[in-house]
Amino acid sequence: MTKSIKLLIAAIALIFIASVIAIILGTKKPDSTCVEVVQNNKIIYRFDLSQEENRTFRVEFADGGWNDIKIENDEISIIDADCPDKTCVKTGVLRSESIPIVCLPHKLVIRFADKENE
Amino acid sequence: MSLRKNLVFTVIAAVSILCGCADKTNNDKNIAVTRDVFAMDTYMNLKAYGKNAEPALEEAEKRIHELENELSATSEQSDIWKINHSSGEETAVSRDTAALIDKALEIGNSTHGALDITIFPVLKEWGFTTEKYHIPDENKLKSLLENVDYRQIKLNDKTVSIPEKSEIDLGALAKGYTGDEIMEVFKSHSIDSAIVSLGGNVQALGSKPDGTNWKVAVRDPFSPENDMCVVEISDKAVITSGNYERFFTGDDGKRYWHIIDPADGYPADNGFVSVTVIGENGLNCDCLSTALFVAGIDGYKDIMMDYPNYDFIFVTDDEKILYTGGIKDKFQNISSMSAEVIDID
Repeated sequence: MTKSIKLLIAAIALIFIASVIAIILGTKKPDSTCVEVVQNNKIIYRFDLSQEENRTFRVEFADGGWNDIKIENDEISIIDADCPDKTCVKTGVLRSESIPIVCLPHKLVIRFADKENE
Repeated sequence: MSLRKNLVFTVIAAVSILCGCADKTNNDKNIAVTRDVFAMDTYMNLKAYGKNAEPALEEAEKRIHELENELSATSEQSDIWKINHSSGEETAVSRDTAALIDKALEIGNSTHGALDITIFPVLKEWGFTTEKYHIPDENKLKSLLENVDYRQIKLNDKTVSIPEKSEIDLGALAKGYTGDEIMEVFKSHSIDSAIVSLGGNVQALGSKPDGTNWKVAVRDPFSPENDMCVVEISDKAVITSGNYERFFTGDDGKRYWHIIDPADGYPADNGFVSVTVIGENGLNCDCLSTALFVAGIDGYKDIMMDYPNYDFIFVTDDEKILYTGGIKDKFQNISSMSAEVIDID
């Protein structure tokens, strides 16, 4: 093989890989599966939802409050909590980067991790 | 060989980008520092870039709590509480409170009373301040409305007086002003790229660190867990008033929301279910989003004409999106609703 053919193959391979990456990035919905569970500015969990097993677990706070978090089929939600308004439960599964799941009384936030910081 | 090395490196880099959930480790120009603030009865998320981001966020959070202490209608230390319990006497207030009342009077006038900060007793009667919701008695509403009139507020530099039976609340302005003030704090720390969300109200300083516009999603009022559209902005606020933000369902099965029409004391139901205002001044955006929601389909054009430097996105109760031409190239509809540019004439 001449040098120019090698170059050509390498170039084509690069373009191919770049397109595959672009397609994967473009079709992932939402863009990231990395989520953070943050309590009063402290990240208490960080998950890649595509890697996590289905399960439900409870986060408890110093004041005795709690939220039950469910991971199912690459989605995360709060399914129960001891707060009066249950806004966090009503939010449903985390869908949008601009709409985190928030439990105000417990200062608990579940959101997609910042893509730019990865 | 070097090409093959490059190739291997590219693949490794690609794989690590795709799989990585890396921790934030440093604080350089392109790394965001974020902070959650729980204040003003809502969730706020602040994000700033650059080496001064940390102290800037620290000071911004302090400023938020300071404003909350001055402006909250329910905290007994606040200026607003003092005004509401002054039995008609003059009350000395902070510079912030005076600025907000001044703005409320200005927008009250320019919107023919669609924004009226003396609606507070009516809002309380519906239970929106305590979450003990109920549909008020018609006569009760009538008697409360007798004391609703922003024109009775007297502002003289930093002293305020209101009639004895009136009460005010700056809920329709406070977050917009807070956004503006956070931008000032950021600027004083030489931050040139930052974005904040104050309970869904978004305000940005500059553009993203890579120079591109911020993309801000606006919620779908008919399904508030989803986004409806995306607008591209820099150095602007995007502020929405919607009927989905705070509401209850009455015994009659109807939905009652927190934006009250000063004309009749009932939730404003004049054709819009959400109004988004986009512009450089967050305070104006906040006031206008409420006022336009109240003014509704019959009154919005008149008000809009007075604010040519602002852009607007309206969602009508028959599921149509109307938006202004200024954002034509920066607006992306991602809902199933139709979207059309408003014809001003």
